[in-house]
Amino acid sequence: MRVFNILFYEFNHFRRSSAKVLTYLIFVFACIYSIYSGFELQNQQQTTIETIKNEQKKEILLVSKFFQNMSVLPGPLDVLGYIPTYATKHPSPLLPLGIGQSEQYGYYKKITNWSSTYDNDMVEEIANPERLVNGNIDFSFLIIFLLPILLIIFTYNIRGFEQDMRFDKLIEIQYGSISKWILIRFIFYITLLLLTVLCFMFFVVIVNDAFFSHISEIKSLIFLLLIYVLFFTTIFYFIVLKSYGSSAIAFKMISVWLILCVIIPGTVHQFASIIYPTHYMTDYLDSNRKESYEIFDLPTDSLYVSLLSIYPDLSQTKHAKENNINNDYRRNALSAIINHMNKSAINNIEKQNELKNQLICSSYWFNPVSFIQNKWNNYINTDYYSYQEYRSEIQKILDTKLSLLNFESWNETEVTMVVYEDYLKQLNAFME
Amino acid sequence: MKHILFNELIGLFRNRLFMILLGVFSISLVLTTYFGIIHNNKQILSQNDAKEHIREQWDEMNHTNPHNAAHFGSYAFKPITILNSIDEGINGITGNVIRLEGHRQNDVMFSEASQSLLISNFGKLKPSLLLQFIIPLFLIFLAFNSYSSERESGRLKLLLIQGSSLNKIIFSKIIAIWSIGLTLLLITTFIQFIFTNSLFNIDILIRLILLFLSYSLYYLILISLTVFLSLLFKNSTSALSLTLVLWVMWVVFLPKIFGNTVEKINPLPTRVEFQNNMDNDRSKGIDGHNPSNERKDELIKSTLIQYGVNSLSDLPVNFRGILMQADEEYGNSVWDKHFGALYLQLTNQKNIYQFTGLINPFASLQSLSMATAGSDMFHHLNFLSQAEYYRRDLIELLNNKWRDGDWDENFYKSIKDFHYNSPSFLSFFWKYILDFVFLFLWSIILVVLLKYLTKKTSIV
Repeated sequence: MRVFNILFYEFNHFRRSSAKVLTYLIFVFACIYSIYSGFELQNQQQTTIETIKNEQKKEILLVSKFFQNMSVLPGPLDVLGYIPTYATKHPSPLLPLGIGQSEQYGYYKKITNWSSTYDNDMVEEIANPERLVNGNIDFSFLIIFLLPILLIIFTYNIRGFEQDMRFDKLIEIQYGSISKWILIRFIFYITLLLLTVLCFMFFVVIVNDAFFSHISEIKSLIFLLLIYVLFFTTIFYFIVLKSYGSSAIAFKMISVWLILCVIIPGTVHQFASIIYPTHYMTDYLDSNRKESYEIFDLPTDSLYVSLLSIYPDLSQTKHAKENNINNDYRRNALSAIINHMNKSAINNIEKQNELKNQLICSSYWFNPVSFIQNKWNNYINTDYYSYQEYRSEIQKILDTKLSLLNFESWNETEVTMVVYEDYLKQLNAFME
Repeated sequence: MKHILFNELIGLFRNRLFMILLGVFSISLVLTTYFGIIHNNKQILSQNDAKEHIREQWDEMNHTNPHNAAHFGSYAFKPITILNSIDEGINGITGNVIRLEGHRQNDVMFSEASQSLLISNFGKLKPSLLLQFIIPLFLIFLAFNSYSSERESGRLKLLLIQGSSLNKIIFSKIIAIWSIGLTLLLITTFIQFIFTNSLFNIDILIRLILLFLSYSLYYLILISLTVFLSLLFKNSTSALSLTLVLWVMWVVFLPKIFGNTVEKINPLPTRVEFQNNMDNDRSKGIDGHNPSNERKDELIKSTLIQYGVNSLSDLPVNFRGILMQADEEYGNSVWDKHFGALYLQLTNQKNIYQFTGLINPFASLQSLSMATAGSDMFHHLNFLSQAEYYRRDLIELLNNKWRDGDWDENFYKSIKDFHYNSPSFLSFFWKYILDFVFLFLWSIILVVLLKYLTKKTSIV
């Protein structure tokens, strides 16, 4: 009964405290705004991807019509060159719950024979860089950075107010256990915050119909949320228990927030940048420029040897039995070799990035905010690794395209409508 | 007033917690400034290595003709300014290399933010992070009960009886706390000067002075506002709560909300739209009535007339060099149209955002901090433009050589690398005038309000 009394009084206190109600309403408004922005970003990405797909369909239809009117079957080079090949990264239905690093990377790419996963069009969408520095009011930001501040505003004068007014002894006499009394008052606010956040999360899940398709991610996000709120609550609870006066409590709580949310991540960020400064990817620049130009000057026999090292089975094709590489096939051979070089340069870049990531991950034991942030982004498919996966998919499509170009032309395949459809299937297999 | 100020400072220095915090902040600032410089130097070294590597490739290139060299191209590396060690601004999220080649203008690539997992939402632990987020909070905590504690202890009445005015007492307190903020600022600028003075010039000095001035004004605003609220509310807890809410709004909420709103008011094109529009103009002609084949025919005619010959084979020069340069110039006009509009739009967005300084002085401070450090959007756009103009000169040089013939190894070696001429701050000064105006305006208004309130406040 006493527990319910305390909860009831806390509710009345909250209701009558205009500052707390106003702060809570601001938080709710920010949640609505962030989710709206998230939906907007999701829609924008989906619309762009739809536009690209429609363009692709139109081009494919056009080529299909040619087939119907052709008397002589075309060769693979004529056909494969006209297949519009794209790779897109579909936004997760949970994107409104956190945009993560999605603004740092592109999410669609036209793949040509000369593409690579570090091309110019792989950079972020056009955006105001100063806006990017300040970031978005996205839902994950509200949870990770503002929720603890809201908790501070709600709880800094629990007991502190009574101490300021010098009637804290009275509470002790009335309730006996002060620690229990503080805990119950904390529980009221945690419940209020958790229910609010969960309502918004379920709203997104229901609107995007993601409950069954993303159930494990949703469970993980809720688990993360609970751990995070409990983590801060525990710290704040002990601050309230061990400090005297609301000013001292507020000062300590804000200091903890600053240390955990700003100073520690900032220090790790600076340390990681000193150990692994921004690299200029000279390996990639080399393979993209100097080494590519050297490949262009290769004599035919060396080119053939290089090509066989990538596609050993090419020696079994019809064209391999001839002594010379057909000039039409030469460019495809060049692009395949350059792609192979790019891949090894890119592997080095990814390895270097991975070292930096390992350093960041090794800081998680004392840097819980970055841990929660990256885990959250991971469940929503907007972290570094989600985009690395997207880059791998692009590479797969490119490899398939180049392999088809070389094998099909060297096999001198006659392209019928059925073969064409098979090409389409192979090249678009990663799109859906 | 001098005596009150002196006593205030003595009072602060006698407080053990204050001394510990001051010591912690001073050491933190020394260390972060020092490590900021180390990070900067390491980045500059890494960039120099990359530049040398790229130059070596250029010198070793086997040039069949200048057009191949134009395709081979070059790279422009975004320079790292000395004051980047204080405020990195947008440099962590923008790319830092652009490939410069014939026929096309590329984007700046390889941003640091895209090279790893997300670490910090508020940036690296650089002096700007401490000066913008941590020190202001320290000053708020020093200021929030400076008036109420005097009133509650009865010391205020004693001071008034001794002949001081409330106005003098309040302003002495503000100046005392402000001087702590200024000391911390001085430590940062001093360390920066000590470790990088060999690279200093007048421009850097002006930038550093203005950086100091901007932060000084911001601290004055924050301290005055805190004291103003404590005078207004009488109750120190209410004053502290409101100041903290305001601080969170200024630092965390408003920059994001206004940034997003500005982008919604003035939306930027998507990359697909932008590229399609550029491609359309490139292929159809800039005004839609000038297809590329017609342009080519016109060029042939005018070239034949210029050289007084009847066919291209009679030309004393290589027509392909002329054609490539004409195409390049056409491409440049397309670039000017589209990127010009984009840069204008970005500038407009920034100008609208600067007006938010009227209700959020933190926006003005942030803008000036990045501006003086040379790491804001205007400096970035300036770098992009300079890189593009270098590209144009380089390609024109190569195309003209292709037109005239007679190239050798020495010709390629004589071509200079891209060099970024860092703009002087004074040449950009007008771009930031609003930020300065708002910071001054906030300071003046708060001082006037405080003067008014101290006259109206009754001590009894």
